[in-house]
Order: sequence, then C-alpha cells, then structure tokens
Amino acid sequence: MGGTDRRDFLIKLGTGAGACALGAQGVASLRSLAPNVSYDAPTTVKLGPPAEFSDGLKFLADERLFIFRNGNTFHAVSAVCTHLGCTVRAEALPKPETVDVGGSPLQLTHQFSCPCHGSHYTGDGVNTSGPAPKPLSWYRLSVAADDGQLVVDLAEEVGRDFRLTV
Amino acid sequence: MAQQPPEAPGVRSRRFWSLRPRSDRDAGDAITSNFLLHAMPAKVSNASMAWTYSFWLGTITAALFLLLVLSGLPLLFLYVPSVERAYQSVKDIEYVVSFGKWLRAVHRVAAHGMVIAVVFHLARVFFTGAYKNGVGRNQHREWNWVIGVVLLLLTLFLSFTGYLLPWDQLAFWAVTVGTNIASAIPWVGPSVRELLIGGREIEQATLIRFYVLHIVVLPGAVAALFGYHMWRVRKDGGLARADREEQLETPRTVPPTPTKTYTLLGVARGTAPTVTAKTLIAADTTVNAVPDLVRRALIATLGTIALISILAVFIASPLEEPANPLITPNPAKAPWYFLWLQEIVTDTTIHLGSFTINGAFIGGVILPGLLIGVLTLWPWLDRSPREATGEWFHPARRTQNLVFIVVMVAILLLTYIGMEMRGPYWEFFWPWETWPSLPSRI
Repeated sequence: MGGTDRRDFLIKLGTGAGACALGAQGVASLRSLAPNVSYDAPTTVKLGPPAEFSDGLKFLADERLFIFRNGNTFHAVSAVCTHLGCTVRAEALPKPETVDVGGSPLQLTHQFSCPCHGSHYTGDGVNTSGPAPKPLSWYRLSVAADDGQLVVDLAEEVGRDFRLTV
Repeated sequence: MAQQPPEAPGVRSRRFWSLRPRSDRDAGDAITSNFLLHAMPAKVSNASMAWTYSFWLGTITAALFLLLVLSGLPLLFLYVPSVERAYQSVKDIEYVVSFGKWLRAVHRVAAHGMVIAVVFHLARVFFTGAYKNGVGRNQHREWNWVIGVVLLLLTLFLSFTGYLLPWDQLAFWAVTVGTNIASAIPWVGPSVRELLIGGREIEQATLIRFYVLHIVVLPGAVAALFGYHMWRVRKDGGLARADREEQLETPRTVPPTPTKTYTLLGVARGTAPTVTAKTLIAADTTVNAVPDLVRRALIATLGTIALISILAVFIASPLEEPANPLITPNPAKAPWYFLWLQEIVTDTTIHLGSFTINGAFIGGVILPGLLIGVLTLWPWLDRSPREATGEWFHPARRTQNLVFIVVMVAILLLTYIGMEMRGPYWEFFWPWETWPSLPSRI
C-alpha cells in the first residue's frame, strides 16, 4: 500500500468525522428547538356556574369562544376563524330566526364575521362567504362533577347537533 | 546612534493604504493590500460603472444592510425581548430615549427601503439579462441569480421577524396571519408552524425565536451570502455589461500607453494586448478601481445613508396598542410587502362540491412557491442568445420582459388594493369612500 492511499484514507476519515460531528451538532441544535413540553393554556377550562350565563350569547375572550344559552340548553362555538386563525366578531341579527341545525331546532341570534379576510358565518358557525374553508368548530360542554361549573373541552370537537341541557 | 533596521520583505512602511494612487502600480496595491477592497478588480470599464446601467442598486442594498446593522446596534441595548417588557421598551425607545424615535425610524425606513432596493435590483438584473453568461465559458451567473433569490427571501424574512418585535397589535396579528399560512401546508404545516413559533400560540417562545432569527441568524446568513454573491460577481467576470466588451467586440487598435511595457515583437505584430485591445482592457475606456470605483461606491453609500437619515426625521414609526391575543383589529393587515399575498389568500379558497381547499394553501403556499420556483429557474428557461447579455430591454428578450412586467404590476396592484381599498372585514372600498364606523370591541 502506497503512502498516497494512507493520506487519502486519513483525509476521508478526518472529513467524515468532521461532517458527522457537525451533523450531530446540527441535529441536536434543531431538535432542541422543537418543544417537548407545552406551557400553553390547558384545553379543559372551567367557565363558571351555568347560572352566570344569561340567555343569548356570551363571548369568552381568553378561550376565544362563544357560549350560547337558550333556556336550559347550552352550546359552545369557537371564535377562531378557520381560514387563518383571527378572532371572528359577533353581530346581532335584527331579529332572531329559528332554524333546524343538526336535527334539532336552534335559535340564531347572531352572525359572525372575520376582520382579517372577510369570511362570514351564520349563527351556528357555517361559513357562508369569504375564504374560510370550513365551519367554526363546536366544542363539548359539560358540567363539572365537583362544583357544577360549566366546562369546555377545547380539544374535543362535536357535531352541530350537540346541546348541553342543564 | 542606532542603525535603522533594514526593511523586511512584505512589511509595509506606511500605516494606512492609499486611496489616492500616484501610479497604476499604486492603484493595484491599494486594492490588494486592503481587506475591505480586495474583492474588487484592479481595473473596471467605464461602461460597467455607468450610473444608468446598474443604478448601483446592489451597492445601495448593501449600504442599507450596513445602515440596518449600525442602527440596530443601539436598539439592541434598549430593547428587551420579553412579552412583559418588549412593548414598554419599544415605547421607551420611541418616547423617552434621546434620539430613540429617530434611530427606530432609521432602522424601520432602511428595512422597508432594503425590501424595495432588493426588488429593484432583481428587476434590473432581469431586464438587463445579467444572469446570462455572455462569454459563455466558465461562467456561472445563473448560480449567482439563485443566490440573489435566496437573499431576497432572507431580506423579506428579516423584515417579517423584525415586525413582531414591538409586540403591539399590528405586530401580533400580522404574525398570526403569517404563521397560519405556514400551517396551511398539508401534513407538515402545523408542525412547521409549531417549530416557527415554539408552541401552539404566539407567546414568549415566539418572541425569542423571532428575536434571535432577527438579530443573529438571518443577518449572519445575509452577510455570508452577500460575501459569496460579490465573490461570484468577480469570478463571473464582473458585471454582465463587461461580457459585451469581452465577447461581442472585435479588438481595435489603440495607442500604446506610456506607463506600460511592450515587447518589441508584440508592438511590431500588433498582438500586444493594448496595441489591439477590446474596450474591457483598452486604457481609454477603463479606469483604476481605486479611486474611481471606490469613489462611486462611497457616493452611493453616502447618498443612501443621507436619504434614509433625512426620511427618518419625517416618517414616524407606528406603535399601536400592546399586543392583545383576545382582540383582532379590524381590518388586520400583513406588512405591506405581504399584502399582495394576503389579498390572494382572501380570494383563492376553492369549493368543489363538499370539497374545499383553503385559500391559505393556494394563495399562501402554492402560488408564491410556484412564483419563487419559476423565478429561481428562470436563467435555465431563458433561451435568448448570448448577445442579449448585459443590455437593457434587449429585443430578443421582449416577451419575457413583458411577462416580468405584467407579474410585477399585478403584485403592485394587489398590494395597492390591500393597502388602500380594504376596510373592516376586508371588504372592498374605493379610496374615496369612507369606512363605516364599527364598534372596535364586541
């Protein structure tokens, strides 16, 4: 074996080792940036006793959520626009109308509009115009076993036939 | 009396270099002995230096980058990248710190100016066919064009990351919309967004990420690529304008220069390089880079800095209410250079029966992706002859110049619509119409 071969081998060894070291450093650096623990707000949130909600709509800014009450039934509609995540605004309808939503009647008192790109939704969250690709999410509401507060689960979407009767 | 030590070879007796050379040799020495100037050629043709060929847009861009680094430095001492204190520290810079308002304005105006200058530079290179290899041998101008496109993207990203830092409503919602466009990419989108903002919500993790990208990662990348960009310009034979003189001109007879040495045979046969010369090396059409090129570069730099400094006195930087994730401003607009994209994402949601494609994916990912892709590959798509290199609006490139102009005008038009004709709920208003007054809160 000639000297050139050994030199070649050592050059390759050095280059390879250097590339491996830098590659590992790079992978480790990038991986460290993908969070392992989320300190975001929890997805199950207590909203207060049902009695605190008056009939009609209440906007919960922290959860970006609309809570509707009609007598003793409740349902929750997300305020996060399905297009690009802006918070939609509620506008009261001149006069409420009752429509059939998911097989059960629902009184619509409001409609929603997004300030970012002008998507419009009906009171039950169905997108009617603008760039929004799908309806606003509905989330599961329940009553806390311990203190009877209204609880929303922002991780669990439900169908539009969902009503919580208290 | 101590004897003077002898001068060692390679040791320079003068403390500084000269920018006023007394001979050609001095002029060459002024380039090679100076780290800042060593990337320049020793000689440069008058045609390459013409104000009206390049408009010195690359130099102006570099000057703006320099100014951004310089004006960013004091801001680094004053700004606190924390959700609790960022807004207050920017407010202090704006209203309490001596000259703070002006420094922030310089940084902001220069940043917007750099976006504009980079786009103009790109347009200049396109219209002059300067990404083409006029000589054709051993040139890789198309590669430098690709580097330029990357630098354009880096510039936009730099500006965008800086946009968040004041942590006001303007910043927060522009970044909300911007990063949600990333999450519209199928499959990997949500992960990309999460990596970009360091979680699911725009929070402290996002601020520190954007901050580090803005002050270290992206400027470092721009500086490194800028160095490479300049080096490639040299290695491809200077500006594309020079190719015309090298390749497309036939040598002509020029009088011998008294400062040069010729071989007798060369003079007799007429083969000595400056007895028959092309414009690129003829003594009457070239000048020494020191001082002529350096002087013009300094004039362009000085002019840029002066203009920005004066503009910054008159253009106030906006600072809205502190960022509030609970209230979306109405309308919520992206930075102006992304407004054309925002306009497109508004209009491109496609409904096919029950099947819907989010406009954010088409308008925010596919369309700009295609545009950047085609832009990057353009030098390989351009089939015009070599003669079209380094000349403004060469007839052989008429169609592609028109296409380029149409696309640019369309982008400008969409930007203008987004800026001036979109009111609350992104509804269309003519500029002379007044927006309806809406309650700002629910």
